[in-house]
Amino acid sequence: MDGFATAFSEITLVLFTTLAPSGAVGYVLMSLPVLLEWATGEARVRLNRLSCLPLGVAMVGLIASATHLGNPANALYVFTGVGRSPLSTEVFCAVVFLFLAGVFWLYAFAEKPRTGLQRALLVLIDGAALVFVAGVAFAYQVDTIISWSLPLVPATLALGAFMGGPMVALAGWKAANCAEVPGCKSAAKGLVAVATAAFALSLVAYGVLSVQLGALSNELAAMADLVPSYGAFIVVFAVVGAAGLVAAARAVAADLAPRPVACACILVFTALFVMRFAFYATHLTVGLGV
Amino acid sequence: MQYGFHFDGARCTGCKTCMLACKDYHGLPSSLAFRQVYEYGGGSWTRHDDGTVSHDTFAYHLSGACNHCANPVCVRVCPTGAMHKDDRGLVSVNAARCIGCGYCALSCPYRAPKVDREAGHSVKCDGCAGRLDEGREPVCVEACPLRVLSFGPIDELREQFGKAADLAPLPPSDVTAPSLALTLPAFAREHPDRVAAEGHVLNGNEIV
Repeated sequence: MDGFATAFSEITLVLFTTLAPSGAVGYVLMSLPVLLEWATGEARVRLNRLSCLPLGVAMVGLIASATHLGNPANALYVFTGVGRSPLSTEVFCAVVFLFLAGVFWLYAFAEKPRTGLQRALLVLIDGAALVFVAGVAFAYQVDTIISWSLPLVPATLALGAFMGGPMVALAGWKAANCAEVPGCKSAAKGLVAVATAAFALSLVAYGVLSVQLGALSNELAAMADLVPSYGAFIVVFAVVGAAGLVAAARAVAADLAPRPVACACILVFTALFVMRFAFYATHLTVGLGV
Repeated sequence: MQYGFHFDGARCTGCKTCMLACKDYHGLPSSLAFRQVYEYGGGSWTRHDDGTVSHDTFAYHLSGACNHCANPVCVRVCPTGAMHKDDRGLVSVNAARCIGCGYCALSCPYRAPKVDREAGHSVKCDGCAGRLDEGREPVCVEACPLRVLSFGPIDELREQFGKAADLAPLPPSDVTAPSLALTLPAFAREHPDRVAAEGHVLNGNEIV
């Protein structure tokens, strides 16, 4: 038995947990110039209308996750488990976030939108986005799954979201021509700083996790056999993630030039994907579940 | 009323008739099994200077299926409520509600629920509910040639066979409170420390 089979069988969830939390955090970060009134006039309109970009990233992830369901026709029953099942709670949080963000996006095309109402909506949506990230982070916190209920596991997902989110926000700001907005360049530097801090903390967290995971086993498998290359996953994450952050820094220095922005997004999301794949490979319950 | 199984580890020879009867009755493919037989053992062989060998090996078998737990994690995590307990306390899947997300299979420490990808929903031992309705026993109980398995109200089974519910390779019983009564294999009863220190599943490749 090896963890790769589990990870491959849950590959759409790997994609979901790579994209959706980063899309949500990207939404929050991308909305800051509007929320804090750095962006006004046309820049604000562009940012509001392009809020579909991080929303799209989150939705692609959510759609990917739906493809792993055996019978999506019964999906509405998921709402009967909100508060009981962590998965129901996660889906509920996703729906609230996506619904509110969808309404906001449609309202962004109103001829005379009320900016106060937009900002109030953004506060609500940003809160929902962060709650959604927490919902995803705790979706598999079940005491029987000994490898996924470690305290650092939700932290790594949240840190990943704060690593990928700034890349989404950079791409969004680029698409909205935010380079001309006063203070945007220093804010973009701030985004790279946030991503770098999340990356550094992720490395520490994965280092600690690798030690904790290495000690786990059940009656059918030891983690060392399930994922013998967990260390290699961390190395790939470190190298590809660092390259992505260098590209992001270059993008900021070049007034959000499209190529480094695209490079940064691709590299950072690749790094996140690698560690999400490793996460699903580490599935192990107490007793007999592998 | 909570129903459950009794397993007599002192009698089981590991013939797997229970497992095959279950697969046959439910029409399961090779990739799915509601009941599994674990071969559990340890110890080693020693060759002496005079050419003879001695050993301190031990082995026993454990036939396990869903234990219809009093605190079933599969029911707790199921997002749709498809995984539920019926009026006999048996845990079963309502296919009309199941989305086939597999969370039950990921969380169960007994490997009981599986996702049937072709059917698009989870499947598992339901205690042969259809047979119970006809006043018959689960097919695994009826098929066992050594009368190792019993099925009935768990309180009655515990009164008759004792309250033991912990035996490797099963997870500790306090995790999900399985409705299971065990008669321990002789070696596990007499040498629990050696079982804990040296025991391991010997037929891991057979487990699905």
